[in-house]
Amino acid sequence: MNSTLLDINAYSLGIGTFDGPIHVLKDINITVKRGETLGIVGESGSGKTVLVRSVMGIGPSNSRVQAGHITFDGQDITRMNDKGWAKIRGIRISMIFQDPMTYLNPLFSIGRQISDVIAAHERAAGQGISSKAMRRSRTQELLEQVGLPAPAQLFDQYPHQLSGGMRQRVLIAMALAGKPDLLIADEPTTALDVTVQAQVLDLIKSLVKKLNLTVIMISHDIGAIATVASKCAVMYKGEIVEQGDTAAVLSNPQHDYTRQLLAAVPDIEVTPARLLAKQAVQDVIPAPQKLLEAVNLRKVYKTQAGGEFAAVDNISLSVNVGEIFGVVGESGSGKSTLARMLLRLIEPTSGDIFFEGQDISRLRGEPLRQIRQHMQFVFQNPHSALNGRHTIGDAIGEPLRIQTTMSRRDIDVRTEALLDIVQLPKSFRYRYPHELSGGQKQRVCIARAIALNPRLLILDEPTSALDISVQAQVLNFLQQVRKELNLTYVFISHDLAVIRQICDRTIVMKRGKIVEQGDTEQIFLHPAEEYTRALIESGRVTSRAARLRA
Amino acid sequence: MLSFTLRKLLTVAGTMLGIAVLTFVITNIAPGDPARLVAGPNATEDMVDTIRVEYGLDRPMIEQFGIYMKDLITGDFGTSIVTTRPVLDELLRYAPATIELVVVAMILGVALGVPLGMLSAVYKDGPIDHVTRILSISGVALPAFWFGILMQLYFSVDLGWLPVSGRLPLVTRPPDMVTGSLLLDALIAGNLETFRTALSHIILPAVVLSFPCLASILRVNRSEMIEVLQSDYITAARAHGISAGRIIAVYSLKNALLPTLAMIGLRFGWMLGSTVLVETVFDWPGIGLYAVSSALASDFKPVIGVTLLIGFLFIIANTLVDLAYAWIDPRLRRA
Amino acid sequence: MSKLDQTATIPASFSERHAGRIRQMRLYGHMFRGSFSSMLGLTLVGIFLILAAVGPWIVPFPEDTLGAVHMGSRLLPPSTEHWFGTDEMGADIFSRVIVGARTSLWIGIVITGLGALIGVPLGIIAGYKGGFVRACIMRLTELFLAVPGLALALAIVASLGPGLTNCMVALAIVWWPGYVRLVEAKTLAVKEELFVESARSIGAKTPWILWHHILPNCMSPIIVKMSMDMGMAILAAAGLGFIGLGAPPPAPEWGAMVSVARSYMPDWWWYSFFPGAAIFLTVLGFNLLGDGLRDILDPRSRAR
Repeated sequence: MNSTLLDINAYSLGIGTFDGPIHVLKDINITVKRGETLGIVGESGSGKTVLVRSVMGIGPSNSRVQAGHITFDGQDITRMNDKGWAKIRGIRISMIFQDPMTYLNPLFSIGRQISDVIAAHERAAGQGISSKAMRRSRTQELLEQVGLPAPAQLFDQYPHQLSGGMRQRVLIAMALAGKPDLLIADEPTTALDVTVQAQVLDLIKSLVKKLNLTVIMISHDIGAIATVASKCAVMYKGEIVEQGDTAAVLSNPQHDYTRQLLAAVPDIEVTPARLLAKQAVQDVIPAPQKLLEAVNLRKVYKTQAGGEFAAVDNISLSVNVGEIFGVVGESGSGKSTLARMLLRLIEPTSGDIFFEGQDISRLRGEPLRQIRQHMQFVFQNPHSALNGRHTIGDAIGEPLRIQTTMSRRDIDVRTEALLDIVQLPKSFRYRYPHELSGGQKQRVCIARAIALNPRLLILDEPTSALDISVQAQVLNFLQQVRKELNLTYVFISHDLAVIRQICDRTIVMKRGKIVEQGDTEQIFLHPAEEYTRALIESGRVTSRAARLRA
Repeated sequence: MLSFTLRKLLTVAGTMLGIAVLTFVITNIAPGDPARLVAGPNATEDMVDTIRVEYGLDRPMIEQFGIYMKDLITGDFGTSIVTTRPVLDELLRYAPATIELVVVAMILGVALGVPLGMLSAVYKDGPIDHVTRILSISGVALPAFWFGILMQLYFSVDLGWLPVSGRLPLVTRPPDMVTGSLLLDALIAGNLETFRTALSHIILPAVVLSFPCLASILRVNRSEMIEVLQSDYITAARAHGISAGRIIAVYSLKNALLPTLAMIGLRFGWMLGSTVLVETVFDWPGIGLYAVSSALASDFKPVIGVTLLIGFLFIIANTLVDLAYAWIDPRLRRA
Repeated sequence: MSKLDQTATIPASFSERHAGRIRQMRLYGHMFRGSFSSMLGLTLVGIFLILAAVGPWIVPFPEDTLGAVHMGSRLLPPSTEHWFGTDEMGADIFSRVIVGARTSLWIGIVITGLGALIGVPLGIIAGYKGGFVRACIMRLTELFLAVPGLALALAIVASLGPGLTNCMVALAIVWWPGYVRLVEAKTLAVKEELFVESARSIGAKTPWILWHHILPNCMSPIIVKMSMDMGMAILAAAGLGFIGLGAPPPAPEWGAMVSVARSYMPDWWWYSFFPGAAIFLTVLGFNLLGDGLRDILDPRSRAR
């Protein structure tokens, strides 16, 4: 039973580009035995997806194997032809993908897609294809196995009628349809909501046990790896820097990169330093002064079916001068809509917004433009928040050109000063966004946001599109900037560990409503709602995994 | 489904109304006096005045529009100056020839364009792909009238295989009219000889008309296939062990067909427009030729009639494409 | 970030400051040169432009392009003196075809230019404003698109009366809706990008956003379409010329030449062959060029 199933030996892969070949994988050595679960951890661009796709023979089309080979169950599959793959791909090795929406064909019913996989498997096994009815019942069995309700109805439904979590379960059912020897899971939970993530991970874990599967799972989330995998490998820039038993790697990391990675995961259990500092100067702080206030804010959208859907439902909040105000919730909870309404980027259906006591909810035209100098927005995805056709200098100078009468030369000087503040070299002025990394782009976005010396910054998940190590840097930097420029933050996140570290007060949102609000530490230590507890628990999984050695 | 059909019907009616307005505006954009234009250059002042009153051109614009709309709804498209017959009668007489030509050309275009596009996508950058690429780009660039003349020169004059022009020789007695299509009517009458003759007449104009259409259907189908073959769900299908043939023939084709359908609808309209050229070259007795000869004779009512009819046929075709869309794509299939 | 970087002086030279742009251009050039069909298109368009620019000064029989009659040399086949033969007036077809390039270029520029000038602003406004404004613009656009272009143009020319100018006016009238549709779709997509919202959040006015953010990001498909449309407009105008509604003889217009030549078929084949071939090669050149530009500028939308 403990025979070697997959052996990757000194495997190197290159991709040809305009600038010459890039080595995406360098000297990879991995062995997976039957019944093992291997987790591969790495940040974006580390080559982990390319690696597992090479194992399935669906790597990038312009890639070339430069050295080494991959052996599956004693058979060399490094340079196998399509005929050979037909017996292995999807039959003996199967895969679960990251984003369940784009990996299901929108034009075919769920049942059709799964029973086709069953038919393909039967054909490959050479046993003749079973009847339609038999495949149907087998499909329903599979759907039931992955915990989907009412499989008989589900059979005839189409992907767009299902939720993200359900789609991922369908994909898992498809992967299991061929009774594979090896199951590869490529970030199976990344595109899902926090609470759904836990369920899908539990499902994978229970299936591994029940079906005695051999699994390779790749993820950037150490918590997910620790939940599922017994062994683990750490990838960095196309190389495996460290591998071994998951517990051993996490509790006693040998390589510098692994240590950095673990240290960068925010610790949800530690009492934030800010509280300790605050207690010392408690008496000096004057009564809080309100900067931003929202009263009974509502945003109603019309659904396609003709009904109404309240994205934000009667929310009232007030943000004090100088504090960091947290907004927590899953995707679809309405937190982004709320943030955009506070800035009047989206028109509220009803309700009032006050900024420094002034009602700004009915402002239009010039007065609204004026007020926007004082409140700025930092977006979730820095890759899309910068216009690809403008230089970094143009992007940072744009608010100055719009809102002030400064001369071109003054704007250039100020732009360079701002680049300095966000700790980027002045020469970046002439660069274009696509030449920058994600973290650098987010710094540019922040420079742009503080160019007009605003009083309030609304940060919409400013770090969630970034890698963990970069995330920590940007968070530190944000706190530094706030101190220097005396800013007030509204900080939106789904990550409770981050919220606990930096936010003074927090609201928890679910389906457009506030389910819990108050002092962050209070919410964290004594959550009143089941929903809040689930959010905290999912944060704990990752945080604990990263702190095994402590 | 009922409300869907009802909505579609309303759209069709709305667009027809819009086209009617458009044609009315076109009739009145000509600078100068329309009555004088109708009367001709040698008319006296009295004659022009008579015509003005007779055509109702002395009344206010809005009233003229009202009369125009009333006439259209009651099926009165005016009278042709050249033939002195009602335009509607002539349209009904010429339309079947045009519809037959366009449908045959469309069948040719789809039957060749879709498989060729698929092949060149699957064997991307191979010899087939290069040939179809040249075919598709030159197909769109070919002037239909010139291409038609070259085809006549080669196949009719040099080789003598196919007749130069017309729909049926004068000596052949046309089959009894049932559908209006000579091909179908000949088959219904069981007259294979007439069917063969009609077929030999339609080949050249249909090929010339369908060539650009074939080219663009091929292009769309090719690039959509390439895009679909690179999509995530096809990667997933491959990873799940679905065979390559099945992925191409079933999974990808259906997805790639959607944009191709849109192109087919678009090209149908383009073909209807191009009949004015192709029918002129081949003396095909359809509405295109009718419009051209009327336009050259400054006979305006038939031109407007043809414009309205072509617009109507195009809308019908687009509605059919919309229905096919909803049939293929489950995301559009709601209540 | 190292301290060294921050104190570094601004790179002075042009090539250093615009390193990114230059690299991009080099990449474009590399891709374009690598494609045979793109280079063929560029060559054809280049020849066409040169002929249009200097045509009247290099042709062997300039007076023939203005309608000179040489009854002694009617309908001669191609020879060393008359490369493309002569027509029924004895005029040199080679000279007339070359001078016709200028007419065609003018037709292409006017129709495409007018179409884009009307269509692009309407498309951007429709896409960005949405709501009632969009509904109005798009209904109007769809109305024009509901009648096939050539049929509508025929009706307009019939109403205005034949002539080259009227042909161009008619084609421009049926041409702009294509730009509205293209730009509206692209604007709808660009509008959803965060940088547009970001510009709004710093207080940018609508004209600023349209000019600095939306338009530059719509430019690639517009350039591609304009390149293709140069060819298609020339083709459409030649079609109207062929019907007999375009430039009256003896103006050297390709479509009209084929039209007259048709009555001299099949014995005097060269008369219709060469003007038609000129149309074909010109349109082919612009199409290949547009196709090549699309491959490098706008690879995502190759379908249309």
